[in-house]
Parts: sequence; C-alpha cells; structure tokens
Amino acid sequence: MSDTILNEIGPQRADAVTAPINEDWLAVVLGLAIFVLALAVLVNVDLIGWVVTTSVWSNLGQALKTTSKDFSSLGGFGALIATYVALLAVLSAGAASLKANVTRFALAFTAVFWIAYASWVIGNFANFAAVTPAEQQKFGISWSLKLTNEGGYIFALIAGLIIANFFPRFAEAVREAVRPELYIKVAIVILGGVFAVTAAGKLGLASSLILRGVAAIVEAYLIYWAVVYFVARKWFGFNREWAAPLASGISICGVSAAIATGAAIRARPVVPVLVSSLVVIFAVVEVLILPFLAQAFLAHEPLVAGAWMGLAVKTDGAAVAAGGITESLILAKNAAEGVNYQPGWILGTAATIKVFIDIFIGIWAFVLGYIWTNHINVTPDQDKAKIREIWQRFPKFIIGFLITFVVGLYLALGTPVDIAKKVPAAIGEANTFRVIFFILTFFSIGVLSNFKTLWQEGFGKLAAVYLLSLFGFVVWVGLLISWLFFGGITPPLAS
Amino acid sequence: MAHSDIREELHRAPVEPLLPIEKKLIGWSLTIGLVLLAALALLNHYAPVTF
Repeated sequence: MSDTILNEIGPQRADAVTAPINEDWLAVVLGLAIFVLALAVLVNVDLIGWVVTTSVWSNLGQALKTTSKDFSSLGGFGALIATYVALLAVLSAGAASLKANVTRFALAFTAVFWIAYASWVIGNFANFAAVTPAEQQKFGISWSLKLTNEGGYIFALIAGLIIANFFPRFAEAVREAVRPELYIKVAIVILGGVFAVTAAGKLGLASSLILRGVAAIVEAYLIYWAVVYFVARKWFGFNREWAAPLASGISICGVSAAIATGAAIRARPVVPVLVSSLVVIFAVVEVLILPFLAQAFLAHEPLVAGAWMGLAVKTDGAAVAAGGITESLILAKNAAEGVNYQPGWILGTAATIKVFIDIFIGIWAFVLGYIWTNHINVTPDQDKAKIREIWQRFPKFIIGFLITFVVGLYLALGTPVDIAKKVPAAIGEANTFRVIFFILTFFSIGVLSNFKTLWQEGFGKLAAVYLLSLFGFVVWVGLLISWLFFGGITPPLAS
Repeated sequence: MAHSDIREELHRAPVEPLLPIEKKLIGWSLTIGLVLLAALALLNHYAPVTF
C-alpha cells in the first residue's frame, strides 16, 4: 500500500495535528449549517433551493434541475454550477480550518466533485436506473439494468476504483479532497433530520427500531470482537498489537474503531493505519455485493436488510451508503410487485444501527486500554488508560445527528400544523445535500482502494483473517441477528 | 517503518501465547454477549414492535 493511501486513511494527517478543529467537529458544523439553512423554508424563505438534483433521464438535457421550483430559472446546469461553487467555498473554508493546503484542496475538490457527480448522472441514465415497466415506457426503452437512481452511487464508486487502480498518479493528485470520513459524517448529521421526518409519522415503530439497535451493540462489541480476536491470535498467530486493532476493524466500525483501539493499546500508528486500509477495501467489496444479495433474498424483509447493512458493512460511509442502495433496490423490487413502502425506513435502520455502534467505540477502547496498560503491557501511571479518553474518542458527529433528529422531530410533531406541514419540504432540501455528500463518499472510498498495491505488498495474512472473519462469520451472524430482531417488521406503506 | 519491513514483521513475528487475561476477556465478552442477546431476544418476543 502506498504511503499516500496510508496517510489518507490514517488517524491524523500531519496538518491536522495543529488544526483548531478536527474532521468530526467540522462535519457537525457543516451538517448543522445545511440543516439550519434548509429550515428557513419554514418561514417562507428558500435559501438552498438552488441545489442541484438529478432525475432518471433518457435525454441528458432533462437530467438536472434545481431542488426548488423557486429557482428553476437557473436551469439544471446552472444549479450544478451553483452547487459546485457553494460546496467549493464552504469545504475550502473547512479545509482551511483543518490547516490543509487550501489551493491544493480546491483544485482537487474540483476534480472530485465533477467526476463524482458525472458518474452519478451517468448512473441515472434510464437504461441503468429505470425500474418499473411504466418507467421504461415513459423513457421509451425496452430494457434496463433496474439499478434505480441510487445505483449512481455504484457508478461513483467504480469511477473512484478505476482512478485508484489505473491512474494512481491522478489519485495522488486529488488526495487532498478525498475525505470519505468527512463527507459521510456531514451526510449523517443531515440524515438525523431526514430520519426524524420519516419517524414522525410512525413514532411507535421508530422507537421500537431504535430499541432493537441495542442488540447490534451487544453483537458488535461482545460477540464479533471476541471471536475475531481469538481467530487472529490463535489461528493466524498475530501478536496482540496487530490482533486487537484488526478485531475492532472487522467487528465494530472499521476505520474509527481500528484507530481508537490502536491508540488505546498504545500500538504503533502504522498498525491501525494498515488495518484501516484493509477495512476500506473490504467495505468496497461488501457494498458491491451485499445490497444486491439483500434485494434478491430480503426484498420481503426490508428492515432485516437495513439492519444487516448496518451490522455487516464496515466503515460508517460504506454502511450507511449501502443502506441507501439497499433501500432503493428493495423499494423498487416491491414497487414492481405493486407494494409501495415509504422511503427512509431501510436507510434509517442501517444508519441507526451504525450510530448506536459508533457511540460505544470510546468506551470499548477505554476497556481495552485499561486491560492492556494494567495487565498486558504494564505502563507507567502517566501512560495508563484514563477515563477522559472515552470523551476524546467519542465520535462527535453523532452529536450533530442527535441534534438534527431531535429538532426535526420537534418541528414535525410539536409545532402548529401550518409550520409542521412545511417540515418535509425543508428537510427535503437538506436531503439533496445529503445525497451529494453520499456521492462524494462513494467516489472517495473508490479512490482510496488500490487493490493492486495491497496485493503486491503482500499483506495476504491480514487480508486472509479479514476475509475469513468477515465472510465466514460477521456477515452471516449479522444476518441472523438482524432476522431475529427485525424479522417480520415492514415499513409503513406509502400513502 | 517501510512496508517491506512490516511484511517481514508479519511473517516473522514470534508467536505470543494467549495470556490468562486475554482468555478472560474473550470468555467474558462472549458469555455476557450471548446472555444479553438471549435476554434481548426474550424482550423482543414479549414486547413486539408497535406501530
């Protein structure tokens, strides 16, 4: 694996060490800013309705449009330019706050945005995305891959993979803007509000689903971790320094967990970084396979499918995004059979599971740190695990998710009808940004996934334990437990 | 550390036997996890999803 890729995935870029803010807090700021701007619709002021949205198309001229009709005079391409300029300005300011090289970021982001969004638009081509016979008739086509419009994420991922594996110099050139963790965290903060609007209609169902998320925590931390650690230590002979971050990476939440565990057990920085690179690559494999398996076999158990994505796919970005693709594929399949489920529940289930798991990373890292520094590699008192590390490792973007969820729920349920009825439209505008951050996440994950160099540099043993644990145990136990707790529960029907 | 060094390290690392504290960690994790999962499954059965 190249140093470049390792640096990108690593816990901290060199410039981030002295930055006044980290990516977690930046994601909270950006996500909340978008959420608040969108809420201006509640007082009849449309501040972000110019953001671009894409429809399934057979005529490219009709692919793009503004989110709000108030800005339709901009035209589709004008909306795209406006969206690019706005994101460039805001994210460049964010890059400055991270002490990144702003010029290099701006140039790299330009390439990342246009390639990623072009891939998304291609993915929305009717022959790829149209699902129902009525849609095919509407677009005058006789066949379609039926990937749905969210199949565009797969196109963005593949574009990133092509760049990583066939144009490594270009991948290196754009690396400053290849920040999947930042993009997905912004998206998750916005998703809190989106999920609130979805949940408001069926609060009983939503709270039942959230309670069932507890099972995911038990599974990820207590069952997955122990088994994977045992497999890595006993069967593959890894020492403790490698086995603990590897177990956390495979079983909990990929990159964040591997890094938190590595720091907690005082491993050398290179260890969680290498584990993280494996996590990203296998997450790509999972995103390319599991949503389609879910569509084939779990179309009539939509929430089992959503929970499965949250439990089985590692890294926040890949898991939540896989939930989005799964939702799209399953809703489309059911729609073709005449059953129209409300959108948002499958994605919401996947995101909730992932957020629940994330919350406890700091606590688990502290437990491991305590055991390591007191019983395994006994360290001087000043280097022992301390309780404040729990907060230091707490993923702060979850605070943003909770804020948008609570505020969204209050606005939808606790305000007068004339305000409450505008909430879905307001949050819908923020959701368009969420989709764009998903696209950037998929593309970035692809750019970080250079399969060839990983293979060449011979990390076969690490990959073997990952492969065996993930596809031999984690994926299937995740499915079993998803079935146990979410089986038989279906989303409400669309009205 | 160069990556070739890491590869060498991974291949040549001496085996570290499982310490009693590691065995305890694995054992307690699995036990608590399975017990909690069973309890949650029971709760799930007796407090079904409400719509």
